[in-house]
Amino acid sequence: MSSINRYFLFFIFIIFFSNANSESFVKAGDSLIWDSENKSYTALGDVEFKNDKFIAFSDKMLAYYIEEKNEEIFTKIELFDNVIIEFKDEIFKGDYAIYTREDNIIKLTGNVSIESPSRLLTGSELIADIDNNKRILNSANKDSLVEVLLENNANN
Amino acid sequence: MNLNLNKKIINILIIFFLGLQVSIYIYNQKPLTENFSQKKITVENFSSIVLSKSGINKIGSEKLNKIDEDNIYLEGNSYLENKDYKIYGKNISINLSKEISNSDEPVKVINSMGTLKGKGFKNLDYDGKIFFEGEVEFVINK
Repeated sequence: MSSINRYFLFFIFIIFFSNANSESFVKAGDSLIWDSENKSYTALGDVEFKNDKFIAFSDKMLAYYIEEKNEEIFTKIELFDNVIIEFKDEIFKGDYAIYTREDNIIKLTGNVSIESPSRLLTGSELIADIDNNKRILNSANKDSLVEVLLENNANN
Repeated sequence: MNLNLNKKIINILIIFFLGLQVSIYIYNQKPLTENFSQKKITVENFSSIVLSKSGINKIGSEKLNKIDEDNIYLEGNSYLENKDYKIYGKNISINLSKEISNSDEPVKVINSMGTLKGKGFKNLDYDGKIFFEGEVEFVINK
């Protein structure tokens, strides 16, 4: 194979995967309701939501949108029950989460945990500021804040 | 001379009022009680415009069946379209008076946010809500 062909294939590969990874979607296992009067989407059952920032899973999702220049844009996402949010190499878990597009902040409450390759932290509330790469983990009381150093990385 | 003219005028007035009475009698009759059964109307490769609360809706189908005054059935590949969305599906029932449309067949919806694929839908047009039952995938535009 000539080097030109190799470069061409590499170029195609890059375009394909950059598009595939940036695709935003909502998937629901049971149902989805589009409410154009209240400008919202309600998804139920094994919900999966992906945008350019993170991918989230939950039992229920309520997403609010606005219309800008003939386009609908999600402004607020609420996730209910068994919430899992994957952001880069971190995994946030909780009973409820709310994401606001305006400030790019994810707030989780109820049985919250934050797992990174090196450690696992649990608490009652997590505020993840995506733009400023800041995490604030609150606990109901001093004893309930737990930090666990994960074994694989602890050995390193 | 004047007397003859007066008589003519009186005669014309009498004829006019008699005619008026006859027309009142005819149009005042009770409506017919006979029942008419309208036959089902079927049109192939149909496309039309329907007015509803949400505005102007365009509908089209391979085969349109008019069930009665309020209900139509879009048989085969069909679509509903308004300013907010385009619904492409199959075998869609529409109730015009209740402003409800639904189908149990796979459906594709395109709106200004993206493209949604579902296993069926129920569109409550009067309420601005569309329900998609079963697995749903909504791919959002960049």
